[in-house]
Amino acid sequence: MSKINPLFFALGIPVVVIVILVTIVVPRMGGGGRFAGLTPFSVEAYRRDWGTLQGNSYRLECQVEQQLAFVEGSGRVLAVKPIGKDSVGRIPVFIPAGSADSFEVGQRFKCKLRVTRDLLVVEALERF
Amino acid sequence: MRHLILSCLGWYALTGLGLAQGQLPGPAQGGTAGDYKSSTAEGAADRLFNVNSDSVDLENGTMQWKGATMNLGNTRTVRARFERYLAAPTDNGDMKRYVAILDQIQFLLSPQSLTKDNYYRNQQEAFNLLFKAAEFEFDADGCLTIASQVQKAWRMGNEYKNIEVTLNQLEILRKAQESVIINRADRVEEANAERMQGKDGKLISKGSTGTTELGYKVKDEARTQAQMLAQGAKLTTIGLKAKLEFQSQMVAFLMARRYRHTLVTSAFYRVVFNASNQDVVVGAKEVKEFFPVSDFVPTLESVDLLAREAIKDVGKGMQTVDDLAKQEELYGAFERLQETFFLGEFEPPVMLYPQEKKRQMLALWKDLRELQRLGDERDLASVEAYVNKVRGQARDFPGAPVLSKVSNAMNASNMSLLAAKAAALAGDNAKAETALERATKIWPQNPGVKEFANQVVSRQDTLALKIPEFDRLMAEAKWREIFNKKLEYALALAQDKERSEKLRKVVNRVGELDANIQKASMLAAQNNPYLAWDVIVEAYKTESDDLVLAKTRSDIAPLVAGYAQLIGRAEKLEKEGAEAAALAAWLAAQDLNPASPACGAAVKRLAHSVAASAVISPAGVVPAPPAADDIPAPPSK
Repeated sequence: MSKINPLFFALGIPVVVIVILVTIVVPRMGGGGRFAGLTPFSVEAYRRDWGTLQGNSYRLECQVEQQLAFVEGSGRVLAVKPIGKDSVGRIPVFIPAGSADSFEVGQRFKCKLRVTRDLLVVEALERF
Repeated sequence: MRHLILSCLGWYALTGLGLAQGQLPGPAQGGTAGDYKSSTAEGAADRLFNVNSDSVDLENGTMQWKGATMNLGNTRTVRARFERYLAAPTDNGDMKRYVAILDQIQFLLSPQSLTKDNYYRNQQEAFNLLFKAAEFEFDADGCLTIASQVQKAWRMGNEYKNIEVTLNQLEILRKAQESVIINRADRVEEANAERMQGKDGKLISKGSTGTTELGYKVKDEARTQAQMLAQGAKLTTIGLKAKLEFQSQMVAFLMARRYRHTLVTSAFYRVVFNASNQDVVVGAKEVKEFFPVSDFVPTLESVDLLAREAIKDVGKGMQTVDDLAKQEELYGAFERLQETFFLGEFEPPVMLYPQEKKRQMLALWKDLRELQRLGDERDLASVEAYVNKVRGQARDFPGAPVLSKVSNAMNASNMSLLAAKAAALAGDNAKAETALERATKIWPQNPGVKEFANQVVSRQDTLALKIPEFDRLMAEAKWREIFNKKLEYALALAQDKERSEKLRKVVNRVGELDANIQKASMLAAQNNPYLAWDVIVEAYKTESDDLVLAKTRSDIAPLVAGYAQLIGRAEKLEKEGAEAAALAAWLAAQDLNPASPACGAAVKRLAHSVAASAVISPAGVVPAPPAADDIPAPPSK
């Protein structure tokens, strides 16, 4: 016969579960992930005047549509479709050759974009 | 067909005469007697344009009947006579009574009514009836001619009798003279015998008293014999003359196609002359021509039969005319009337044909003659209109073969004209001239010939103007203007190989452009404006000055405003070196038009270029941005 009060288990386990859920799910529902501190990337603004975005870093949640080009030692160009209410079609992003990630059509990921001249370079990413 | 029909009729008549040399042809070989109708429209058309094949040959003024040729007179006279018949009012008169009188004459003179008692009375009665028949208008005084012929024969008969009396008297005289001579000769011989015997019965001397008178008497007898011979010869001559004159008149009536007068003349001949004179001597050659049979001997009976056959054929022909007219087959009726007219224009059924029907036939006759004239002059364009006009009058007119021949002739003329044009373009003037001559000969009024002639005449002037004009347009790259006048330039530059080659290239170029424009228009019409715009954009790269392309572009542009703007921006960004931004614009455009080959190609090209040219350190370190001067100016907002 255990000396621990059964009531402790009855209340403790749900509390632990709730804590875990809050720890894992809530940050994801917030949409930022590890790049939550970055400004979301505006496709409209890029298309309208990419010059104003030069040098900036943005957060982008997207889905891989197609690999447009791959150059050994340089990197690859993916056509991705931003996920969100203002999705306005595909944009090209550049994955430098140093990235060890693999990309399949339909994969979704969050990334940190840097606008280098007119090129959108993926500096970091996480899948979701 | 004409020959078959006439052959049948000829054989039919020959059989009736008992002179047939073969069997009657079967139905498959020809029509029945009296049915003149041709079995094919082709044959009718041939007859229309080939007068030589007609039963009635108006060109030669002859008519084929029962296998022989009747001479109707010269062409103009024949045509005029038939036309006059159609236009003239119908003769008035009691045809039945007239025919009855002629029949009565024949009956009075026929063997079944003649006896010893009434032999002369019947002749006189028939003779008197001739004058009654002559009172009718359609007799044309033919009976008076017969009457005078009969009277002449009778007069010759009297003369013949007088000569016979004279001959008898001379014979009596000659016999008297002969007895006188014999008597005188006996007496002379007796006197001589007495003188020669003496008393003792011895011969004393010889003598010849009374011989002079005897000589005269012999001369008288010889003269009498000569007179008798002369009278006999005269007798023979008179008989022959009467017979020949009568026969001449009979054959003349037959040749003139006055068959009833022929029969009456024949009937009188039989009773006026005796049985030993029944062969036809005068006009036998003409009568023989009716039957091309070598052993045919013309007789009174054969002449009679010919006349009766003709009368029967005329009656049947007019019945056929009436039947065809009732069935509204006016063309067939007209043909039958024409044949029947020339066979027996003096026959009462022909002469009494109703005037209103003849007027109808006259209108058709005039149209047919006009149609034939147009055909002779090869006025092919007018022939069709006239054929339709004739068809309106006569529904059985065989116009299809005529139109077919006209169409063939037109095509042949046009083909020759095309050959002439081709030869002229190739510079072969001799061949062109020959082909043009052939085209003109087939269809003199071919409008294409005149047009071609004008082209040839103005060609030299055109050459002088067109070459400099072509050179100027080439220099100004006005391909569309050259293309629009390509035929004129082709004619003008046919001899100039260098310019012709340039013209060919221009025509191909604009032709290809027009094909693209057409393709774009079709795509736009099929609610696919983005692909249409792709075609336009591609063509616009090389033919930006073409007005037709510009118009099509402006027509389609409103339908693809966003798409066009994206492409325009992409091209501009690419020119400015912003390849990634250009790629983004191309992708946006491709989203609008996924099937666009242009977008696909641009995306592929730019993506590879961006991937190759992006200088990013493997560690993901972003290189320093270019200097401010290198940064291309972003597109204006």
